[in-house]
Amino acid sequence: MSLRLRKFAMTATAVAVVLSACGTGEASEPGESTRQVTVYTGRHYGIEPVFEEFTAATGIKVRFTTGSDPELRERLAAEGDNTPADLIMTADAANIELAAAAGLLSAVDSDVLREAIPAELRASDDTWFSLSRRLRVIMSSKVRVENPPTTYESVGDPQWKGRLCLRPSTHPYTQSLVAGMINNYGEDAAREIVDAWVANDPLYINSDTDILKAISAGDCDIALTNSYYLARLLTEDASFPVALTWPDQESFGTHLNVSAAAVTAASANRSEAIELLEWLATDGQKTFSDANNEFPANPKVEPGAVLAGFGSFVADLRSVRELGRLNPVAVELLSAAKYK
Amino acid sequence: MSGKIPSAVAGWAIILVVVALFASPVIVLAWSLADPASEVWAQLWQTRLPRMIVDTAVLLITVVLGAVVVGTSLAWLVSAHDFVGRSIIGWLLVTPLAIPGYVGGFVWLDTLSTVVGARGVRSIWLCAAVLVVSLYPYVYLFARAAFADQGGDTLAAARSLGCRPLEVFWRVAIPTARPAIAAGAALVAMEVLTDIGTVRLFNVSTLADGVMRVWFDSGNRGAATELASALTGAALVLVAAERLLRRGARRIRRAGETPLVPRTLSPFRSWLTLIGSLMVITVAVLVPLVRLIDWTLEATRSGQAVTVAGGIGHHATNTLMLAGIATVVCITIGTMLALVVTRRGRAARVVGRLATVGYAMPGPVVAVGVVVTLAALDRRDWLPGGFILVGSLVGLVFALVTRFFAVGYQGVEASLDRLAPSTRESARILGSSSVRTAVTVEIPAARYGLLAATALLSVDMVKELPITLLLRPFGVDTLAVWVWQATSESLWAQAAVPSLLMIAVGMIAVGILLTALERGGEFTS
Repeated sequence: MSLRLRKFAMTATAVAVVLSACGTGEASEPGESTRQVTVYTGRHYGIEPVFEEFTAATGIKVRFTTGSDPELRERLAAEGDNTPADLIMTADAANIELAAAAGLLSAVDSDVLREAIPAELRASDDTWFSLSRRLRVIMSSKVRVENPPTTYESVGDPQWKGRLCLRPSTHPYTQSLVAGMINNYGEDAAREIVDAWVANDPLYINSDTDILKAISAGDCDIALTNSYYLARLLTEDASFPVALTWPDQESFGTHLNVSAAAVTAASANRSEAIELLEWLATDGQKTFSDANNEFPANPKVEPGAVLAGFGSFVADLRSVRELGRLNPVAVELLSAAKYK
Repeated sequence: MSGKIPSAVAGWAIILVVVALFASPVIVLAWSLADPASEVWAQLWQTRLPRMIVDTAVLLITVVLGAVVVGTSLAWLVSAHDFVGRSIIGWLLVTPLAIPGYVGGFVWLDTLSTVVGARGVRSIWLCAAVLVVSLYPYVYLFARAAFADQGGDTLAAARSLGCRPLEVFWRVAIPTARPAIAAGAALVAMEVLTDIGTVRLFNVSTLADGVMRVWFDSGNRGAATELASALTGAALVLVAAERLLRRGARRIRRAGETPLVPRTLSPFRSWLTLIGSLMVITVAVLVPLVRLIDWTLEATRSGQAVTVAGGIGHHATNTLMLAGIATVVCITIGTMLALVVTRRGRAARVVGRLATVGYAMPGPVVAVGVVVTLAALDRRDWLPGGFILVGSLVGLVFALVTRFFAVGYQGVEASLDRLAPSTRESARILGSSSVRTAVTVEIPAARYGLLAATALLSVDMVKELPITLLLRPFGVDTLAVWVWQATSESLWAQAAVPSLLMIAVGMIAVGILLTALERGGEFTS
């Protein structure tokens, strides 16, 4: 009887071995012959063609996996030295700064990167580099709104009660916007602004695209979203009835957030990772930012045609590097203000 | 008799190993309870926590009640009555199982916002309604099995004693089926407590959503774990309540009992029943299917290419492979544990149940628990060849089985329980060894229950999202992952094709489930 049990146990072990063999095959298949780099990316929309172009240009293969920024950061933290990730890309400045603060990233000493990316758009210790810029702007209905608000503060004006759409506080874009306001106006003033937004009984929609469609459908009249979502909808339908206003032009400039990338501290393919990072900041800039209708981080690269149509504006450059440090403060402020 | 002690030792060894395996990710997380993050709690209590508790309670009660009412009444209509299209309707009523909650959720969110507006659609009541139509089949399946089990004799006796049809239902059928309905309701309750996809769509802040917020927004793993533990506690209370309702309800079908004979309905009532059932199916299945097909056609017409890395075949194959492996592992270990537990008595049952704790936790919490556990092992370099568990297929399968072990295990345990103890005892008295009895008597006798558990499990595995998303090895992208990537950008047309494929796979599994139940005599048509 115990012999039979042993047989059973052996079968179970065999199953486990076969399973682990599958896993090993997956992990060790790309040997020394091909150069490759492994990427964790919080940005997933249209990223595939960018990597294909890089592989065509350099012969370096790219493996990547997607997830939300904070999930990937938590995974990186849990994996520690064993992480397969060489490069991490986020859709938000705060999450990459938080990863840097947790010691998960390593500084890159590269003249190419220093020349391509302005100092305000990279970490002070060069642990991370922005690759594209997006702005959190005021969107309004072309049909029902004649004079849209021109500051983040005036979005809280009582005339917008029941007419405002916002993204929930779970999203990094909301958290970073509030972190930027804390940096510029101070915590108390930022709290008053957020309180005023909440008092306007906003409709929370967890998708910038859906927010814009809600304005078009008449569910709200004004909203805060990222610039590129309107660009995407305008590419599909040039008569989409939503207008863009650059907020805070007279004061601190429109809230600027970035897509950023960094080499991990435990990267096993460090030189390939740096090569990819440098390529994304230079030759790959156009493809990378156009794929998502974003403004390039490299000032030498021209933005796409739709973006040029939005006109010129002043962006808040001084907050970008503070978004990570102020993220916990922003999350707590949003929670205390009962922002959904 | 000399084999008795080793077999007890071996039995307990198996129980403890399995429990240690599947409870460890939870235990590792619970470790952080030793150092409570009190300031986070104080802040939560002043801000979001009261709302989370209220929303969770309201949603839980509404959905469970709704699913019980819809599931039980439909089961009674189909089990005890004869009407136009009865046998097809009986099958179709199970098909909502194949539609993932988050797919039904985004379809209805989009559909209803054109009717009640984007503000009106984001309500806890509509969220509850979407959850009811996607979850009632759990109650329906259990209730149908119970009604079939009651046999015709009891009901015939009640009728001959002058009970009117409705009285038969209330005074005889319901009380006897109560444990089964409670078991179905417990499954529904677990699904509601751990749901994240659907509640987020409708802006409902439940505790599970709160766990995600505290963890990923505030980066506070400790506080998130404490909240998750509270959630697990609530789930365990529910499980205890279900056990209580089930007490003394073990009923072994006697041979030669007359099966339940359906009463023929008048043509008017017959059509009324048909229309009512069709309405439920329309809301739960037909509307989502039509909208998904419509989105697909629209995308094809406008030349908007539906593209995704690796192509659709790659995603479909990965889904099938992953769901297949995880299901087989889960059923194999579940059967082994159930066989051991059913012969080791009460204490073994209680301990064995600990292995199912993953079912009471939201997927992402299980995922991170597994990452933390496996990463700790990886750091010790204990596997030959420097094999790393995190991000491997083994790690992913382990997490999936941890999350859904309850579904496989309890299904098998329940069908083993239905065997008359005398069957096993006879085999043992005739000198058959424990393992031989299992292989030649118990497993064959419980085969349809096993098959049903396998099918139910594979539906869960195909739909699973958060764990696969967080733990998948490179290149292992599933249909659910594709749907997530597209829906997080509100690209419905891109999400439609993989959703349809996922539903197709789910429908096949539901078909197998129904066949198994029917052969096993739990589902008569």
